[in-house]
Amino acid sequence: MKRRMISLVLGMCMMVSLMVGCSQKPEQMENEEKNATENVGSTENAGGESEDASQSADSGDSQDASNDAAGKKYEGITLSFMSNIAGVQSEAMEEVIAQFEAETGASVEYSSPGASYEELMKTKMAANQLPDLFTTHGWSIARYGQYLEPLNGQEWFSRLSESAKQIVVEQSSGNIYCLPVDVDVAGIIYNKTVLEAARVNVDDLKTWDAFAEALGKVKDAGYTPIHIGGKDNWTIGQFFDWVAPSYLITDEGSNHRDALKDGSFDWSNWKDLAQMMADWKAAGYFNTDCLTADYNAQIKAMAEDKVAFEFLGNSAVTEMQSVNPDASLGLMSVPASSDADEPTLIGGERIAIGVWKDSANKEAALELLSYFAQDENMKKVASADGAPASFEGVESDTGIITEDLAKYMAQCRIFPYFDREYLPNGMWDDMCITGASILAEDSGAVDNACAAMEESYKAKLEVQ
Amino acid sequence: MIGMKKKVKKNIINIYYIPALALFGIFVIYPLLKGLQLSFTNWDGFSQNYSNVGWRNYQTLFKDANIKTTLINTVIYGFGSTLLQNVLGLAYALFLNRKFAGRNVARAVIYVPAMVASLIMGYMYYFILQYDGGALNDILGVFGLEAVDWLSKGSRAVILITLINSIQFVGVSMILYLAGLQGIPSSYYEAAELDGESYWQSFRHITLPLLLPAITSSVMLNLIGGLKLFDIIQALTAGGPGFASHSLATLVSYTYFRGQNAGYSATIGIFSFVLIMAVSIVLMRFFTKKEGDV
Repeated sequence: MKRRMISLVLGMCMMVSLMVGCSQKPEQMENEEKNATENVGSTENAGGESEDASQSADSGDSQDASNDAAGKKYEGITLSFMSNIAGVQSEAMEEVIAQFEAETGASVEYSSPGASYEELMKTKMAANQLPDLFTTHGWSIARYGQYLEPLNGQEWFSRLSESAKQIVVEQSSGNIYCLPVDVDVAGIIYNKTVLEAARVNVDDLKTWDAFAEALGKVKDAGYTPIHIGGKDNWTIGQFFDWVAPSYLITDEGSNHRDALKDGSFDWSNWKDLAQMMADWKAAGYFNTDCLTADYNAQIKAMAEDKVAFEFLGNSAVTEMQSVNPDASLGLMSVPASSDADEPTLIGGERIAIGVWKDSANKEAALELLSYFAQDENMKKVASADGAPASFEGVESDTGIITEDLAKYMAQCRIFPYFDREYLPNGMWDDMCITGASILAEDSGAVDNACAAMEESYKAKLEVQ
Repeated sequence: MIGMKKKVKKNIINIYYIPALALFGIFVIYPLLKGLQLSFTNWDGFSQNYSNVGWRNYQTLFKDANIKTTLINTVIYGFGSTLLQNVLGLAYALFLNRKFAGRNVARAVIYVPAMVASLIMGYMYYFILQYDGGALNDILGVFGLEAVDWLSKGSRAVILITLINSIQFVGVSMILYLAGLQGIPSSYYEAAELDGESYWQSFRHITLPLLLPAITSSVMLNLIGGLKLFDIIQALTAGGPGFASHSLATLVSYTYFRGQNAGYSATIGIFSFVLIMAVSIVLMRFFTKKEGDV
């Protein structure tokens, strides 16, 4: 009998220990009383973190009514906020959040999972259990739109600059689904020290032919013309995202904008830019380890004056300066494919925040969003990102590229990121993979790239 | 009465299986069945809706050129790692089964890499092997040799990944073989010595046959681990360059999250499951037969 009791107790202990690894935050009963969604209040473990909102005993509204006199507006409310932003930009966002918490009494569980952000968000979308707020990294319409609260009614909506509105307004409905804290206006990042040594003037680089000539000069001067951190193969995709508009979109006289959107695009037109990459690789214009170096190596190489050009967004400049504060860096426009066209810039969402449409704490979440929309907060975050703020009249510190940004924004048309605007959702990866094959100098890589892009384009259009 | 008591006792014992079976059902059987269902759909992995596409994903699987490369890589990771880990592991065990000063330290040093997370191990070796600033190229530079981009060629990357995986887990094989060796009575070797058998003859006729249970365990563990290899690949090459060093496991993840093709990813997962199960069954039957012969 004693032995049986001991066995029973040990068996129960083992059972409990097996369940420990699967533990979840206890569901809060109040969630079920509160809102319109099915899954509010349930939590997930993702990489050991608990992501979703946990909620207090009272709803936000009744909290307001009963606690106005006694405490802060959102005392006891916990908001979950996930972001793909890292580094100094994330620190700036956390400062804003801390101020919001101090003023309103709300608690904000902010997490920035880094490289696995998109994977985590896809898992959450599949389960329809999203954080109350999250950053949309350029996909507020195409990917996250169905999960986000339309924000046209927000009081800050009218303050958005025209360039910001162009990026975030859904053409079909006129809705916006995110607050763009800043606007990504990107060109090609270059190292002034290296170009001086190679005697290259960026103002002469109006076409890709002129750019290729400059690459030759840089190489002859003993520097790496272009650095790509191909182990993080999104850096390969960046090349195509930068180059593709000049071949396919920007020429007002002859472009493929409509064909790309209506599915009639002839993918033999992709060959020009794929061949350009292949030619530059054969000429030795890319770093030797373009397939095995990573993004950090790319930042380091530019900061250490080893590389002339990189196809990265402006936030990379901040990171390069954190490696070498004395790095002399600049931004130039993206060359045109021929003399018949003009150089351009690329624009899109950068730090943009949306609110989950089924959030149980929508009111508090929208208030946090409005808090980010306050001038000083927007300026703080945009300055940390080195990007222009998205509101008229809010000046952010865009750092050492301020002059270049102003100069080229005055001269150049801005086109959206190619894959976000003109390719079906999910084709970014095809650009990365086909580009890697070209850089690996695989046999038939250019033709295979055209075929692979076409196959994926048709398959993904079918699903959308 | 006694018979009934025994029956009740037997049935009560069966109750203790239920929690483990329930967990197995929830975390193994259900995901497997759900994955099988998804493999017949065009789900992108995050939308709320998807459609049934029949056998299309399986047809794509057999036409996909990347699958051939990935399958070959997976076989190399599985069988290559198994061979290296077991040969080296047995060699270490034979050597470290003798008494000498520092034996325990040597055992610990060989086993410690198995305690490091595979992802960390991958990153550690990435910092050794990277072209610019990697430790190995720095050493080559000291001797006046050119730096090599070690991971730029798919074939070389696959070999390096196999070697690193083997180095990490050879300690596990060593421990299994040590336990097996210590279970062989020394009287057998004494008798063999009296009969005039050489060391290698003793090894062939005594050690190997009696080590079969340990060999079975070690080979099965190593093989399944190698066929499922993920972390080291992710850290070292992320499956690149291109698709050159992907395993089936990394391809499943890549296709789901990066390719936004959860349906096809599930198909690759089912294929991987069938492959590993088939290999495991064949090997188990082989080793069971061998043990029976002994």
